[in-house]
Amino acid sequence: MTLKEKLIILSDSAKYDASCSSSGSTRSNKDGVGSVAYSGICHSFSSDGRCISLLKILMTNSCIFDCKYCINRKSNNVKRAIFTPEEICEITMNFYKRNYIEGLFLSSGIIKSADYTMERLIETLYLLRSKYHFNGYIHVKAIPGASEYLLKKLGRLADRISANIELPTDSSLKLLAPDKNNDNISKIMKSVKENKSRNFAPAGQSTQMIIGATHETDLDILSKSESLYNRYDLKRVFYSAYIPVNKDKLLPSLSLPPLTREHRLYQADWLLRFYNYQVDNLLDKNNPNFNVLIDPKADWALRHLNEFPKEINKSSYYDLLKIPGIGPKSAKKIILARRVFKIEFNDLKKMGISLKRAKYFITCNGKYFAASSIFNKNFIEKNLVLEDKASINSTGRQLCLFNE
Amino acid sequence: MNKTYLYNGSFNSLISLVGDLIYLKITPSDIKSDKEYKINLLDEPVQLNLEKKINLFDYLSYNVIHIVYYCYLSSVDNKELIIYYFIKNALKYKSKIFNHRDLNCVNKILKIAHNVGNEAHKLKGFLRFKQMKNNFYYAEYESTNNVIEILANHFKKRLNKDYWIIKDVKRNNYALYDLKKIMYLTEDEIIKLNLDKNSEEDIVEDLWKTFFKTVAIKERKNLKCQMNFMPKKYWNYIIEMEDSNEEGNK
Repeated sequence: MTLKEKLIILSDSAKYDASCSSSGSTRSNKDGVGSVAYSGICHSFSSDGRCISLLKILMTNSCIFDCKYCINRKSNNVKRAIFTPEEICEITMNFYKRNYIEGLFLSSGIIKSADYTMERLIETLYLLRSKYHFNGYIHVKAIPGASEYLLKKLGRLADRISANIELPTDSSLKLLAPDKNNDNISKIMKSVKENKSRNFAPAGQSTQMIIGATHETDLDILSKSESLYNRYDLKRVFYSAYIPVNKDKLLPSLSLPPLTREHRLYQADWLLRFYNYQVDNLLDKNNPNFNVLIDPKADWALRHLNEFPKEINKSSYYDLLKIPGIGPKSAKKIILARRVFKIEFNDLKKMGISLKRAKYFITCNGKYFAASSIFNKNFIEKNLVLEDKASINSTGRQLCLFNE
Repeated sequence: MNKTYLYNGSFNSLISLVGDLIYLKITPSDIKSDKEYKINLLDEPVQLNLEKKINLFDYLSYNVIHIVYYCYLSSVDNKELIIYYFIKNALKYKSKIFNHRDLNCVNKILKIAHNVGNEAHKLKGFLRFKQMKNNFYYAEYESTNNVIEILANHFKKRLNKDYWIIKDVKRNNYALYDLKKIMYLTEDEIIKLNLDKNSEEDIVEDLWKTFFKTVAIKERKNLKCQMNFMPKKYWNYIIEMEDSNEEGNK
C-alpha cells in the first residue's frame, strides 16, 4: 500500500471528529522546529466549510470494538491500514514546514489492547518530539481503558489530550457502543484535569458528542456538557451532527445530518462558557429542545421580555450580555466608553456594534430606536426569525472560530 | 493653498513628522509619503526639516504605538491623517484614549488596525511554502495591507531552522531569513532567485491535496461557508484550491 493510499484511508476515517482547534497552548520553542500560537491558526477550509488546522488522521482504522455508529467498527468490511510512527512523522514535518498545518491530530482505532495502542501512540509522539524536534501543536486522543501511567506519558508529549464521550447518556452508550464504558472516559478526563500543567496537555482537554443518533433531547445533551465543564474543566465540547455511515436497526435513518440542531447547540454552548448562562435558564422539562427558528439567546430574551429594554448606559456587564446581538467584546467596549461619555444609538454603530438584533432590546439615554409600540413579542420575534434565517444563509454555519 | 506634509515612507519618519507638527501646533490638511505623493495644482508639498523636538515614543503607551503601527501598515488612503488625530488625542487623554469611542479617529483607527491584524492572522495560515532546489523554502502571497513584517516575525519563530523567503507580490517586497535574522529587500536589491522546486515537492503537494479532499464530509458540503472563511482573493497561492480556481474560470 502506498503512503497516499494509507493517507486516504486514515484521514477519511478520522474526518468525523469535529475538533479542529489549535489554540490555547503556551508551550515555548525550546530549540525545536515550530511554535504554537495561543489564538490558534486555521490553515485551510475544506469544501464543507470546516477549518483545517491539524493533520487529522488515525494511526490505524483497525479496531477491536464494534460501536454501531462508527465507520471503523470491527464488523464493517472496510479497507484497513496502519501508519508506522516514521510515516506519521514524515508527513507531519513535510506539511508543517510548508505551512499547510498547525500540527497533528492523532487518534486511533484500538488494536490488540488499549495499552498496546497507547504505547504505539506514545512511541509516535516521542519520535516526533525528540528525533524530529517537532515543537508544533499536537492533539492526541487517549484510548479509553488504558493504564494511568501511559496516559501520563502521553499527556507530556501533547498540547491537548481528549477522549470522546460520543453519547450523552449511559443507556445510549450501552446500546450503540457496547464495548465502551462511560467510567473509562470519565477516568481519562479526571486524570487530565488533575495532571494538567505547563508540561502536561497545556491546552487542556475537549470532547465530542454525536447529535441525533439517539433519542436524547437538547436538554440531556447540554446538561451533560454543563456537568463536564464543571467537573473536568473541559475547554470545549464539540457537537457532531450524526451522519449515517453504517446501516443498523438501532440507528435512525436520516436523510440529512441535523445541522441546524447542531448549530443551536453550539450557540447554547457559547452561552454556557462566555455568557454566564446555565442550562436551566435555557431549557426545561416542558421545553427540552431549542427552537430551530431562533437562536437560544434571542429565544431566552423573548421569553423574558419583562427584563427589557435594557439601558445601555446603566446595565451591568452581565445584563449587557443578555442583549441579543451583544457579546463579551461589545459589552466591554460599552462599559469602557460610557465612563467618558453618554452613549447614543449612533455611537454604538460607530463602535462597530451591530444593532440588527440589539436595537429591539435596548434604550440609549432612555430612548428606544423606534415608537415604543414596536416593543412587543410578536413583532420582535417575527423580525428576529427573518434575521436569523438570513444570517445562516449568508455566513453558513460557523463551526470553527479562531478563539475558543 | 493647502499644504501636504511629506515623510519618507518609513514608520519612524511618519512618527517624527507627526511629533513635529504637534510641537509646532500645525494642523495639516494632508500627510503623505513622498513615494506616493503626486505633484498637483491643488496643494503644496512641504518637507519639514526640523531637529526632532519631541520623541513621541517617550510619550505614547505600547498599546497606542501598536495600533498606530498597524494602521500605518494598512492601505487606507488617509491613514496618516487618522494617525495624526489619534496621536494628538492620545497625548491629551492618555490611558483613557481607547474609551473615547465618541471620537471618529479612535473608532477609525481601531477598525483599520483590526482589519490589518485580521488579514495578517489569515495569511499566517494561508501562506504556502514550497521547498526549492538549494533547500530553501519559498512563499508568495498578495494582500490588501502591507503585512510582510508581521508574517516574517511569525515565521522567524516557527521555521527557525530553515532558510526561507517570503514575497509580497503586489508590492514586490521580500523578506529573507538566514537562520539568524530577517532582511527586507525590494525587487532591485535581490539577486535573481532560482525558483525551481525540489524534486520531491510534487509528491508532498499531492499528498496535501489528497488529504484536503478526503477530509471534507460530503454530506455537509457548504462552499459558501468555505469561501467566507477563505476569501477568493487568496486562492491563487493556496495550492489545494488550484482545482477550485480552474473550475471557477471555466
